[in-house]
Amino acid sequence: MTKQQANWSPYDNNGGSCVAIAGADYCVIAADTRMSTGYNILTREYSKICKLADKCVMASSGFQADVRALQKQLAARHLIYQHQHNKQMSCPAMAQLLSNTLYYKRFFPYYSFNVLGGLDNEGKGCVLTYDAVGSYEKVGYSSQGSGSTLIMPFLDNQLKSPSPLLLPAQDAVTPLVEAEAIDLVKTVFASASERDIYTGDKLELVIINAAGIRREYMELRKD
Amino acid sequence: MQIFEYNGSALVAMVGKNCFAIASDRRLGVQLQTIATDFQRISKIHDRVFLGLSGLATDAQTLYQRLVFRHKLYQLREERDMKPETFANLVSALLYEKRFGPYFCQPVIAGLGDEDKPFICTMDSIGAKELAKDFVVAGTASEFLYGACESMFKEDMEPEELFETVSQALLSSVDRDCLSGWGGHVYVVTPTEVKERILKGRMD
Repeated sequence: MTKQQANWSPYDNNGGSCVAIAGADYCVIAADTRMSTGYNILTREYSKICKLADKCVMASSGFQADVRALQKQLAARHLIYQHQHNKQMSCPAMAQLLSNTLYYKRFFPYYSFNVLGGLDNEGKGCVLTYDAVGSYEKVGYSSQGSGSTLIMPFLDNQLKSPSPLLLPAQDAVTPLVEAEAIDLVKTVFASASERDIYTGDKLELVIINAAGIRREYMELRKD
Repeated sequence: MQIFEYNGSALVAMVGKNCFAIASDRRLGVQLQTIATDFQRISKIHDRVFLGLSGLATDAQTLYQRLVFRHKLYQLREERDMKPETFANLVSALLYEKRFGPYFCQPVIAGLGDEDKPFICTMDSIGAKELAKDFVVAGTASEFLYGACESMFKEDMEPEELFETVSQALLSSVDRDCLSGWGGHVYVVTPTEVKERILKGRMD
């Protein structure tokens, strides 16, 4: 007698891609705004980016219901932190919290592929990339989601981040200026929209620097 | 175990101005073990038609042998070389013959047709042709290659620039795929010459 298999899954994949790039004094976080299920589009205007703290923003692709639940959890924990410490959570602190929150549900995970971006305590750009159960790494750039396999090799080629294993430790942040990094992100999403059916409609960019947080939008292919 | 991922491969062909480039990685593996680091995936059918075969290496070799046989017969009968479009049709027919017990290969065909017009195409393992005007990709690194080529491709590149573009796209893509790599083989073909170059990349 073979083991019984479920014919209903609690998960769904709403598709989409996210990218983040860390600079010397800025961080760019971007995601497309298409939400799909199977071969259908649910909406063309869904934001996958969430502001967790003053200088800390998260972009998540995967199952958006789980992403929403995760964002709500993190917002609640951040509020408690603010009450207890009388200050906003820093990006590295939020990074650890996200990892712990994801691992808490190790045996029924959040189907959420996250990229955290922001400025660290010294004002330098900071990007952390996660898997669904909370394994994370501080990197110079990252992409997650359905278009990530198309995007990552091109980012490798353009940004050439040194290995985190090198000694002496080398800076992972890109020497590019903010405008160049934004152009790179736009190019990368235009290419991903051509070949990935789940990526498209509109690109939402969030740029964090010393002056604050600003948002930009760009139209992408709608097919 | 996925049969298309047993040996690992990366193949790309790109169109330039009156020229084309076809490139592959050099790794031959058996699942996670690397067996050879100088495996030839691209073969010359004649001076103006090149064939790359990704997927299961044994099927790639057998298919190549059958195609060379058929092309030599064609040369004897017609007293000329096959046009790339015709060759693509031949590959497609041979693959579809085995519709219910296929060769586990994805071919990439590149050639110069009439009036030196570059021709590239790929097909699935049962012979469905996909003609493209810009580039075609195949192998375990195909998704990575799609992204890299889409971002780097420009129309009407001269042979030298085309070589640089194909090389960068190939190396960046195989560096993200564990089953392909160990350098690259790039052929840049113009109406007058064929330039074969070996790339040194990450040897892992």
